[in-house]
Amino acid sequence: MASYFVAVATISLIYMLLAMGLNLQYGHTGLINFGHVAFFAAGAYASALLSLAGWPLPASFLAAMIVAALLAWPIGLLALRLADDYLAIVTLGFSETLRIVLQEEGWLTGGVQGLPGIPGLFAGLGPDARGLATLGALALCNAVAFLLLRHLVRSPYGRLIRAIRDDQTAVQALGKSAARPKTRMFMLGAMLAGLAGAFYAHFIAFLSPEQFVPLVTFYVWIAVIIGGAGSMAGAAAGSVLLLAFLEGSRFLRDALPGVSEIQMASVRLAVVGLALILCMLYRPQGLFGRRKG
Amino acid sequence: MISAISLANYAVNGLVEGLLIALPALSLTLVMGIAGFANAATGDYMTVSAYAAVTMQKALAASLLLAAAGALAAGVALALLCHWLVFRPLARRPAVTSLVASIGVALLVRSVLTFFAGHDQQSIQTPLMRAWNFGGLRLLPTDLAVAGVAVGALLAVFALLHGTPIGRQMRAVADNPDLARASGIRARRVMLALWAMAGALCATGGVLYGVKAVIMPDLGWELLIAAFAAMVLGGIGNPGGAVLASVLLGLAQELSVPLVGPSYKIAVAFAALLLVLLARPRGLFGTALAAR
Amino acid sequence: MTRIDETRRSVCLAGAALLGSALAPAAARAAQQDVFRIGALNSITGSGASYGPGMQKTILRAVSEINAAGGAGGRRLQVYAEDDQTKPEAAVLAAKKLLDVNRVQAILGTFSSGVTLAVMPLTNAAGAILMNTSGAPAITTQNVAGLSWRFEATNDRYGRAFAQAVAQGGFQRPAIMAFNNASGISNTQGFKTAWEARGGKVVASVVYEPNRPSYRSELQQILDAKPDVVVMGSYLPDTTLILREWYQSGQDVKWVMPGWAGNADLVKALGAEVCEGVRVVQTIANEGSPALAHFDEIYKAETGKDGSTSIYAAMCYDMVVTLALAMEAAGPGATTAQVNACIPKVAGGQGKPVDSFEAGREALKQGPVSYQGASSRLNFDASGDASPDFSISMIRGGEIVRQGRVSV
Repeated sequence: MASYFVAVATISLIYMLLAMGLNLQYGHTGLINFGHVAFFAAGAYASALLSLAGWPLPASFLAAMIVAALLAWPIGLLALRLADDYLAIVTLGFSETLRIVLQEEGWLTGGVQGLPGIPGLFAGLGPDARGLATLGALALCNAVAFLLLRHLVRSPYGRLIRAIRDDQTAVQALGKSAARPKTRMFMLGAMLAGLAGAFYAHFIAFLSPEQFVPLVTFYVWIAVIIGGAGSMAGAAAGSVLLLAFLEGSRFLRDALPGVSEIQMASVRLAVVGLALILCMLYRPQGLFGRRKG
Repeated sequence: MISAISLANYAVNGLVEGLLIALPALSLTLVMGIAGFANAATGDYMTVSAYAAVTMQKALAASLLLAAAGALAAGVALALLCHWLVFRPLARRPAVTSLVASIGVALLVRSVLTFFAGHDQQSIQTPLMRAWNFGGLRLLPTDLAVAGVAVGALLAVFALLHGTPIGRQMRAVADNPDLARASGIRARRVMLALWAMAGALCATGGVLYGVKAVIMPDLGWELLIAAFAAMVLGGIGNPGGAVLASVLLGLAQELSVPLVGPSYKIAVAFAALLLVLLARPRGLFGTALAAR
Repeated sequence: MTRIDETRRSVCLAGAALLGSALAPAAARAAQQDVFRIGALNSITGSGASYGPGMQKTILRAVSEINAAGGAGGRRLQVYAEDDQTKPEAAVLAAKKLLDVNRVQAILGTFSSGVTLAVMPLTNAAGAILMNTSGAPAITTQNVAGLSWRFEATNDRYGRAFAQAVAQGGFQRPAIMAFNNASGISNTQGFKTAWEARGGKVVASVVYEPNRPSYRSELQQILDAKPDVVVMGSYLPDTTLILREWYQSGQDVKWVMPGWAGNADLVKALGAEVCEGVRVVQTIANEGSPALAHFDEIYKAETGKDGSTSIYAAMCYDMVVTLALAMEAAGPGATTAQVNACIPKVAGGQGKPVDSFEAGREALKQGPVSYQGASSRLNFDASGDASPDFSISMIRGGEIVRQGRVSV
């Protein structure tokens, strides 16, 4: 019983890292990144492939973060030239292109056959202890990331970022460069996604390109918006809520005895959709966001 | 070495697929320009319309024309319903709120559909006809019909936008909402017209898709990214741009098949999009947007 | 209280309510003693949604039949149904819920290779049986605990069956079209290997993406190479689209495809004329198999469709019967491991052939049996893979007509 909740909590914390990274990119820096899953995938595959090649896990995790950040660099540079929805589709295209590359270049990634047998974390412990230890490691990473990001956001540098988000021209008129901070924030957010990817790869133990579709990016966006964009606590709360809805709806069956198992799948999706609509209608700023005018 | 005829065949494929995408792309760009947000439920409006056509054919033994009319009614009704229940209350909120709400609408619509209709594939029954063969260049009558209807729908929309009073009002709202309101244009009528048009475009696209391909519950959602890409490439809010961009992306995609294969062709479309945006960051015909 | 605090409190209450509703039924179920718990993990949504609902309905129906016959090994079967969304991540959470909350001892019906490969480490760790219909070769190599049973023929077996079908048709210039997933690619690669082993050559090979509105360009690549037959590793929706576009293009070529694509649903979607002459290769039960006839009956009753439209559902039927027979052979109160060890004894090809649970239960009193399933004769090998015979059929006048049988 506990093992299931540990698993749900683990996935929640993985999404939490993703959400905090996206929140940094969008909530604080104003970059509309619809390709977040690309950095998730890059981190996952990097860590999986390196660990299968014999690297120790801490090293492969670090490599995952670096690979994701490096991948984000050219995209971050693009962010300077493209506004809003234009950046959105380019980042989306980038994530789809990466997925196709992962799918086609099977000599490197295993392609559609996937990568099975990825080593798990804390291999020396028994199955229940491993689950708890992984959860603990994730919680630690999340806590560290949360504190660091909150510190960053409240620092003078953080104020500069928000000033760039709100009025880039004014900031540039004051002689400050807008390019480097934006790119750096983009890369930092991607690095968190890469870390999330590494945890994911060693948790699911099997990777295939079909796991890295744009729907994952949309889920992270939903977590950020429902939690309240611009608030790290919001990103954290949003991810927990997201998983609560996605998994909690599984237990609806007992409440609806007249509905067949097949139809329950539709009901689950309907619950998620309805929750989104109602949240936007009645609390659009999310849990922790401030209401904008 | 690839022959000219072969290339011409690929080009025809690209043209037809592009015209098919042009319908939801136009719907997306109209809604973006006039209502101010990206409607992620566009794809699912198409899916519902396709299923409506199938239902009319099966349950009521309707002719293809009648089924299409039923689908049109369904698409328009759904678009208006969602506007009334969800998007109108959200009109004054930031665009991202409406976007997330539209994702919710998409999921809800799809789940209601599968609850009643199940997950099996469906087809719109049309008579099968052999292609016309011009020395190797093959033109399928079905494809020609699809292309013809798509072009007709697009022309109708443009005629409405440029030739009728309500169309002029819609364009005024797209250009400058505050000024439009100040000069007495009633937002309510404009919005009704917008969503009716958006729904009709989606319905047409859904039925054409159903005629050409196979209908599954995820039909519309899968097309959404391509439609979004076309909208952006053409310049957000520019109807002509959306249509032209759809066709260009379709052509680029299919013509790249002999070079990169069927899997990478999708990446080629995105690469083409990126190249254009690097040169013209607002898309082919986009203008600098007012602060949103 | 401020608005934010109120909201946070209501969120916590909602979360607690969800948790509470999750715990309550599990507590009630723990009280049962003489129950064998099964998880039906199927693709109700996602890319496998063409087959998943039928598979799940079959499992549920087969379980109720076993229970109506008095249960197996002195125990009643209890089934918990979940949707894996054809996605490995969702499957892992669903499997965890089944294994930990519902305490299932076996998971049946996983379809996509990604799902099976993601779930296998979990079932192995929990000591639970995993019965699947997936195609990827890695499933054999990852089956380290001997708990996984693949009811679908492996790709090399399919490949040899395809090669027989092509050879029997007298074709010289085959091309292959594969759906871009583990199963589609593995089966067509299996064909290529088998065909080249006979000294033949494949003239063109195209892998196509799922969910496209049109496959004309892919088709064109294939037809430009002028093959006389196209071997497909495909599913129903894409096959429907490809064949429709091919027929209208008027080019001459023949088709060989697996049974889950070439069936009554395909004829229904396209009409008899388009499907005329299509060759279908499928794992097959014995001639006039009573298990197949019975499955056909219940599939029609549950879904309104012909049993031939889903060999995967037939495999799911066989999963339940095989499991029940193994439970019977292992005796009352047997552990999951003991039941697992009896699976080769009831479906391994040694022993008296039987074709239903009741017949098998009777025959087990005298010795081992070999269950001849609805999907195939099963005959599990040492790696837990079925080794079936295949049928080659042709669609004639809208009907699927058996032409012959091959052993590979």
